[in-house]
Parts: sequence; C-alpha cells; structure tokens
Amino acid sequence: MAKPKVAFYWNASCGGCEEAVIDLAEDLLKVADAVDIVLWPVALDFKKKDVENLKDNEIVASFINGAVRTEEQKEMAELLRAKSQLVFAFGSCAHEGCIPGLANFTNREGIFERVYKTTESTKNPEGIFPKVKTKVPEGELTLPEFFDTVYTLDQTVEVDYYIPGCAPPPDIIMNAFTALLEGNLPEKGSVLSPNIALCDECDRNESKPEKLEIPEFSRVHQIEIDPEKCFLAQGIICMGISTRSGCGQRCINVNMPCRGCFGPLDGIKDFGLRTMAGIASIFALENEENLSEEDLSKLMDKLVDPAGLFYMYSLPSSILRRKRMEEK
Amino acid sequence: MDNPATNSAKITTFCCNWSVLPGLRLSNLSTDEEDKIIVTMCTGRVGPELIMQAFEYGAWGVLICACPLGECKHDANYKTLRRILLLKRMLSQLNIEPERVRIEWIDTGEVAKLQNAVNGFYDEIKKLGPIK
Repeated sequence: MAKPKVAFYWNASCGGCEEAVIDLAEDLLKVADAVDIVLWPVALDFKKKDVENLKDNEIVASFINGAVRTEEQKEMAELLRAKSQLVFAFGSCAHEGCIPGLANFTNREGIFERVYKTTESTKNPEGIFPKVKTKVPEGELTLPEFFDTVYTLDQTVEVDYYIPGCAPPPDIIMNAFTALLEGNLPEKGSVLSPNIALCDECDRNESKPEKLEIPEFSRVHQIEIDPEKCFLAQGIICMGISTRSGCGQRCINVNMPCRGCFGPLDGIKDFGLRTMAGIASIFALENEENLSEEDLSKLMDKLVDPAGLFYMYSLPSSILRRKRMEEK
Repeated sequence: MDNPATNSAKITTFCCNWSVLPGLRLSNLSTDEEDKIIVTMCTGRVGPELIMQAFEYGAWGVLICACPLGECKHDANYKTLRRILLLKRMLSQLNIEPERVRIEWIDTGEVAKLQNAVNGFYDEIKKLGPIK
C-alpha cells in the first residue's frame, strides 16, 4: 500500500519550527518511514510544480508553519489546502501570528521605511524600495507582494488542527503525527495540546499563595528571581494563567515567565485581553480605596507596553488584529 | 467612512444590576435593543474581551456604569477600573481613541446622573464617529 503523502511548508517564520521537526531525533526516522514526504523546502528538493502536479486531496496532511504576510505565502497555503485532506497550523506563527505578527503594530510602509531607509546600518540614498515588478535590461523581475498586515494561517485558508508552541516541542509534534497515522485525531479545529492552564502543571504552583495580590509589578531584569517561587507571587507578570500547557515548562525551567506562545485555553476569544484581565485582577494595592482614578492611572503607566506584552504571540488573532493606521 | 453628523452614534452600555438597574427603571432609558443597554450581575463580569466584542459588533463606544468605588459587595469594580485603565492603554497603542471606553460610578437611584452619563457619552462618541 502506498504511504500517506505529507507536506511541510514554511511561511513567515524564523526556522525554529523546521528545527523542531529535526528535534524529533530518531523519531523522525520513524515518521519518514511511515510517510511519503512530497514537499519540505528546508530539507528536500521538491518544487511548487511537484505539488501542483498532485491531485486534489492527494496529500493526507500538510504541516504549515509561519504566519502569512506575502502573496507567495498565501498562494502556497491555498495550493497546499487544495491538495491536502488535512491542514495543520504548525507552531505559534501559523496558529496565532506570534512574533512576526507584532509587525501589525505598523504596516508595509513603516517596515520598508525602517528596513530600507532608517536603520543605523542602511545606506540607501537613492531610496530604493522593493517593488512587485522591476524592469531591467534583461526583462522584468518580480517579487511577491508584501501585505500591510500579517495574517494567521486560519485567516487565509481553512485549518483542521493546530500544533501550538514557539516552537512546538518534540512530544507535542510526535503525538500529532501518531494521532494522524493511527487515525486518532480529535474533533476538527482542535489545538493538539492539553486544555489545561500552564499554571495547573507548573512546578512552582505550590508556592503560589492562596490569594494572589501583587502591589507592584517588576520586569525580569529588575529583581533577582527566586527559581522555586511562582513568578506572579514575585511580582513578575507570567501568562501561565491563561496559556494552555504542553510546553514542558521550557521557559519556567530557565527561570523566565510564560509569555503565552502555546496560545489560549479553549473558549478564550482574545488571549491578550483575557490575560490582561487576570493580571489586572491581582494587581491589588493596599490603600486602593484612598487612591484617586488618576493615582491608579499613574500606577498603571508603570506597566510598560501592555499591548506588546499581552499580545506578544497573538496580535493577528486578537479581536482588533492590528493597529489602526492613519488614512492618508 | 460613515459621516458621524448624519449617523446615530452606536453606544453599548453595561450596567450593574445592583446599583444601576433601579435608576435605569426610573429613567427614560430602556433595555430594549435600540438603547443597547445590557444589565450584568456585576461590572466585575464585564471583562475587556466583552467590551471589545461590543466594538466587534459595531459599537462606536462602550460605557460601563458601575457601583461607586467602595460600594461593590465583591470589590469587583476596582478590578473593572484597573482592567479598563489597562485596556485604554492598549487601545491607545493600537491607535483607537481610549475615550471610546468609559466607566461611570452610579449609585442606586441616581437617575439623572445615569441619564446624563449615557447622553453625555452618546454626544461625545457621536463626535468621534465609528472606528475606522
């Protein structure tokens, strides 16, 4: 019997998701034995044309990492969707937008201006910017269109499953592959990691006081962090309260707080806002009743860059999706 | 863009059941669909997600009428205030006027204050127009 065809593809991502597949180590050989890989740009020399030559739905599953920010990425996502029975959003960028999604605080013009003009190392006196079409003596050169906005994969094509994480850890990936090969996948639309908050499985949970009340928040560089104690109890914002588990506490174990790369628990519509609501709830001031709204407002200013913090991994999948840009 | 001068401003108002509802009943405001006034058991329940969902459904502004500070049995209005203060900061970063979200403290029976709060907010939001 022919092996099931599988594709891996990358969009706007850092390459960490490719690395994550390699991190399967010996298990990767089992996967490679069980499937027929028809596309994997980082490792194998298949071309777009090879995918175009396949029949619709001929690929059993496509694992697409990265957010969608160019016309080419959209086109490839659409092509793979048409050729695949199942599409997996692989990793936080495809799932929620992740770090590339922070570009939604600006737009194409803002990015081009910075990258091609104002960075300290740029010298571009002629003001040359990338163009979709450029005429040269030999003919016309083309580049894919660079969108104003970064999109998640499911804002571009229908997605069947989500493998969360920046990047997804090997056990989460292997569980997904095993479920696919054994036909044990859950309901479509599922995020393939446990639907319990990271706090629930955190080794530091026991050090969390019964009632969390934090009079002042510190940033990680401002205090010496106790490696045994709950971050929130130390006044460090940790997003494990609303982030799904499955990461193996990778950040917690190196004494860094959770920033939410596994995305929200089921039922949360806007991860950043829900997390902010939780954090605001425990921001308890001893003499709050004596403070005016203005005093409180000044205290809130101490929380630097709240949108960047709470939407670190999820701005494109938030209700607002992006910063509103001035019309010209 | 809609012309705010020719369009009725769309505001959604969340009211606390305990402090605001009695005054609401005595006012000429109503909880029918037109006025878009939603009574919740406590404004502590009106999370930022809910507020943003109102915008998603087309609101131009969201008003939260809560018990005066110190008078909420659950102390939840302090939480609501902190959340709204943070939400306003996040909205500013995303280039949405923070004035589109407002919290007002209304005591039981403060009918005129409630009416003025809703009318005043309506007038200001009308000037801002819809979110572009």
